[in-house]
Amino acid sequence: MRCAKTLCQECATQWDGIWYCAGCLASRRKSPAAKSHLGGWIAVIAASLGLLFLGTRFMVWTGVLLAGLR
Amino acid sequence: MIRAPLSTTSVLDESAAAVRATVSPWAALLLATSIPYRFMQIVFADRLIELGSNASQYGDLLRTTADITCATFLLSLLGRAIYARACRLASEPGVAPGREALRVPLTAFASYVFVASIAEAFTYLFFVTGLGIAFGAILSGLAIGTMELNTEPGIRGPLQRLARFGGGSRIVASLALVFFCAFVVALLNVATLFSAIFALASTVGGWDAARWHVLLSFSNRRFVLTIIAGALLVIEPFWIAANVVLVRKAGAAQTGDDLRVWFEELQRS
Repeated sequence: MRCAKTLCQECATQWDGIWYCAGCLASRRKSPAAKSHLGGWIAVIAASLGLLFLGTRFMVWTGVLLAGLR
Repeated sequence: MIRAPLSTTSVLDESAAAVRATVSPWAALLLATSIPYRFMQIVFADRLIELGSNASQYGDLLRTTADITCATFLLSLLGRAIYARACRLASEPGVAPGREALRVPLTAFASYVFVASIAEAFTYLFFVTGLGIAFGAILSGLAIGTMELNTEPGIRGPLQRLARFGGGSRIVASLALVFFCAFVVALLNVATLFSAIFALASTVGGWDAARWHVLLSFSNRRFVLTIIAGALLVIEPFWIAANVVLVRKAGAAQTGDDLRVWFEELQRS
């Protein structure tokens, strides 16, 4: 269940493998018109790029540290 | 696929069934996208060992290798995402994972890249302590398991889902332990396979056994690194399938779906 509510089987609907309550299903149906996800996209892309950059730097730093211990 | 209550053994049983159902072509696609990443990791480790204490003087070389490794990491994430979707489709009754597996929602994939990047950065940052590998593997597994639950882009939702399925779960920890043992077993098997192939090939006339013995011996660090990468490739489909099944079963337990299936099975028997 996306909203983490506890519902009985009859009140939940499965869509694309994920269970939704009536409220979540309704909000999902009207969300393209009502809500823009631009902020979310910018945040997730910026965070991913930043983390990938940090990941490569950590890889080099840790590698150099371990190589120096030999 | 939800046949038994949520437990480590039931997750392992059902993940084996998922791997069997998706072995061709989805496991092959997973391997094809993972091999470049593992190869670049071997190249990086090999260069570090070769440079030794002079490694700090070759920052540009190591950074370039790490950047290429990062690019191959993104490719491997795409393969893992497709494979996880194939496993999820295979777990649904009466559905065979066809081309539908390729249609990974962009939102789910972006969220997965975000969480997998956290796992990767965490792994390298705490690699020296040994905890980085364990926590990184668990985080990476939960990231692929919860991938398709992310229906909206953002950075809070994927983290909340990780906390929901990973927080305080003994099954997650026991799965990690089981897969650590599986990694050791796979390591021995891959090493034995190489030795067996070498032994068989050495019986063929004209085979330069002495030269190959130098290359395929444990004194050759590249051979050892290749065996480690091979073992990781062997267990990867099972690790992804186990995490997809774990998240699906945990979600089913929360909604009562598992009880419904159990009741239907009781009525049929």
